[in-house]
Amino acid sequence: MSEPQTTKHPVATEAKKRRSIPATAPLVVFLLAMMIFFTITSEYFFDIENFRNILVAMAVTGVVCVPGTLLMISGQVDLSVGSAAAVSGMILAKTVNSHGIAIGLLLCLVFGLVIGLINGFFVTVVGVSSLITTLGTLATLYGVALLIGNGQTVGMRNFDWLGTAQPFNFPLPVIIFALLSILGAIVLRKTVYGRSLYAIGSNPNAARVVGIRSNRILLLTFIYSGLASALAGAILTSQLSAGDPNAARGLELEAITAIVLGGASLAGGRGTLFGTVLGLLVLGVLNNGLILLDIPTFWQRIAQGVMLILAVSFDQVRQKLNDQR
Amino acid sequence: MKADLVHLENIHKSFNGVEVLHGVDLSLNAGEVLALLGENGAGKSTLVKILAGDIPPTSGTITIQGTELARLDVYQARQLGVRMIFQELNDAPTLTVAENIFLGQWPKNSGLVSWKELQRKAKEVLDRLEVDISVDAMAGSLRVGERQLLEIARALTQNAKVLVLDEPTAALSNVEVDRLFIVMQQLKSQGVGMIYITHRLDEVALVADRVQVLRDGNSVLTTKGKEASRDDLVTAMLGHEATKNARPVPVVTTKKAVEIKNLSSFTEFDDVSFSVDEGEVVCIFGKIGSGSAEILESMFGLRPLSGGEISMFGEVFTPKNPAHSAEAGIGYLPADRQRLGSFGSRSVAENLSVRAWHNMGRFGFVKSGLEALAFNKWAEALRINSRRGPTQEIATLSGGNQQKVLLARWFEAKVNVLLLVEPTRGVDVGARRDIYEIIRKQAKESNMAVIVATSDYEEVVLLADRALIMARGKIVSELTGNAVDANTLVSASS
Repeated sequence: MSEPQTTKHPVATEAKKRRSIPATAPLVVFLLAMMIFFTITSEYFFDIENFRNILVAMAVTGVVCVPGTLLMISGQVDLSVGSAAAVSGMILAKTVNSHGIAIGLLLCLVFGLVIGLINGFFVTVVGVSSLITTLGTLATLYGVALLIGNGQTVGMRNFDWLGTAQPFNFPLPVIIFALLSILGAIVLRKTVYGRSLYAIGSNPNAARVVGIRSNRILLLTFIYSGLASALAGAILTSQLSAGDPNAARGLELEAITAIVLGGASLAGGRGTLFGTVLGLLVLGVLNNGLILLDIPTFWQRIAQGVMLILAVSFDQVRQKLNDQR
Repeated sequence: MKADLVHLENIHKSFNGVEVLHGVDLSLNAGEVLALLGENGAGKSTLVKILAGDIPPTSGTITIQGTELARLDVYQARQLGVRMIFQELNDAPTLTVAENIFLGQWPKNSGLVSWKELQRKAKEVLDRLEVDISVDAMAGSLRVGERQLLEIARALTQNAKVLVLDEPTAALSNVEVDRLFIVMQQLKSQGVGMIYITHRLDEVALVADRVQVLRDGNSVLTTKGKEASRDDLVTAMLGHEATKNARPVPVVTTKKAVEIKNLSSFTEFDDVSFSVDEGEVVCIFGKIGSGSAEILESMFGLRPLSGGEISMFGEVFTPKNPAHSAEAGIGYLPADRQRLGSFGSRSVAENLSVRAWHNMGRFGFVKSGLEALAFNKWAEALRINSRRGPTQEIATLSGGNQQKVLLARWFEAKVNVLLLVEPTRGVDVGARRDIYEIIRKQAKESNMAVIVATSDYEEVVLLADRALIMARGKIVSELTGNAVDANTLVSASS
């Protein structure tokens, strides 16, 4: 019920009028309400510079959210994104210092590809659930990140443009995130690959019996997720000018919260990238508002956890309402 | 006469302003079986859902065991002894039979589950139904029919007074159907009232004391079970007289499309040989477990072969997996629509187009609007009734309409060979005829070879150019032309 069908057929246009509650409508309302609230309570909130901060803060999470949404739609989840970003950041920092930016970035992306392959291999070929597989790689890679820097952060010289450059007066990470989102949205709506993700998520058995090459498609999507994690790690490292094994901790939680808030169903078969972007904005505005109101940062964590539970509950309630109609 | 168990009076129900029940009455006495007939969309499901408290009626009164209620919720309905037995199994397959019978209400001894008591009580219930199943067996290891009996047993332990059976025989073999009917006799003698929803008209005379037919949300016929002739029932369901069970005009063909030589699977079938011409519809008739469905599964790459050869259009074809077979131009319609066929949360247009996406644009893209276009084309040809057009979720359609969408999926994909397993299971009479008609028409027009595995002899008579009869994994005889008739089929297959 999420993607509008563009067709001139009378049946279809008539059908649009009687649509059930769109998944994103309440989220938009919630986002606007929050913005009004923070505008009233903080004099710093409604400000171009602050909006820019919000966008920059969500860009790194946003990058991993794009393949994350594809995975969630197909009924899979990648929890290893935070750790994978941390390791690729460490790799980047180390190699940029010794071999230069090009080699560093290349190695970083190759690592992302390998991690995606490993996750995808265990899920599709071996048949371990993605929750368990990526929980395993999450733990393993966190250890690897600590190992690389011996538990310390690794300083990186001369490579801050990826995280801080402002072409056309707009932060580069935000541009990267925006481009990826648009690309992802097109892929989901307009390509055989994207449509197949919805089918696999909706009914994996039927997808197999109808002859969709599910394993190939899921493997590819895990690889995207690995690459996106590496890119996110690179951006983060560039922003900090250092590889920090702890910098991307909790990235997976934030990403999944945003995706679920955006209406992607944990059961698969539903979700849009537009929804995910809205989910990211809600989290971004919330975090930003809490900071502006001088609320201790611990509360951000609490707010995020609560948001995740609320998002899932809301998804359930909405489905029940739609079923009853 | 006011019925003593259930009395529904003047029930109206609207969804989104569209009235689907226009003042229906229904009554049920203790120890009575009421067969509820009607085409898909006639309102049967809505009516029994109202009785079970699943959905509230827009207006009307519900009286259960003398208690009149304006509104009824699920808990109240259960309290009053209303139980539904669905086609889909609702058991816990990894628990034992005994645990399943008392699911959630295990007998306890000082707070802990008493296993002895549980087994004893479970055995008692099964004995009461005269069913011989081990209480320690894993529910998942039982046959579908046995699992259904398990659900009935569970309902009984919860003091069921009114049992609603929604097409319970759709997935059962003949032996299992007989056993179910014996159990129903038992229940009758214990005063349980049953509402029996079915599409198999021959069952009505066997089990029903009374028959009620719904059509377009109205009750159009209520009569004694024995007095209802088949023709009367069909006429009432359709609103017009059905055409006689005439054999279809045979297709004249010359070119071989599929040739099967000495095909064997490890345990399911053995040394099977036959061929199918272009444009021909061949039915493999056999009881469930005879191997007919399994042959088609093997041809589509869903089940390993142990020997033999498949040729398509003169070339040897070795199926590897469904994707490989589908790409080779084979289509496959599974018997289990919900589990293996449809993408429940996706739209009808998507469900229909899934195999044709590759032809709906270039470079891996799907042109927008083409899905809807394809749906509208087939919706018209197959009379698919989707209230909200191409965007409606497929799970919200009736069984017959869903099946039409899944069939059109392969037509739209332009396959050369189409394999259908039980294509009209759980599909009502009207839709069934539409489906037979369209299969034959498509086969002829696009020179498609169609192989149907079915356990429904009427289907064979109405659909097949040629019939192969299977029993115990082997083809035992072949019928062509007017030799294909119900009596020959049934006697040859047993």
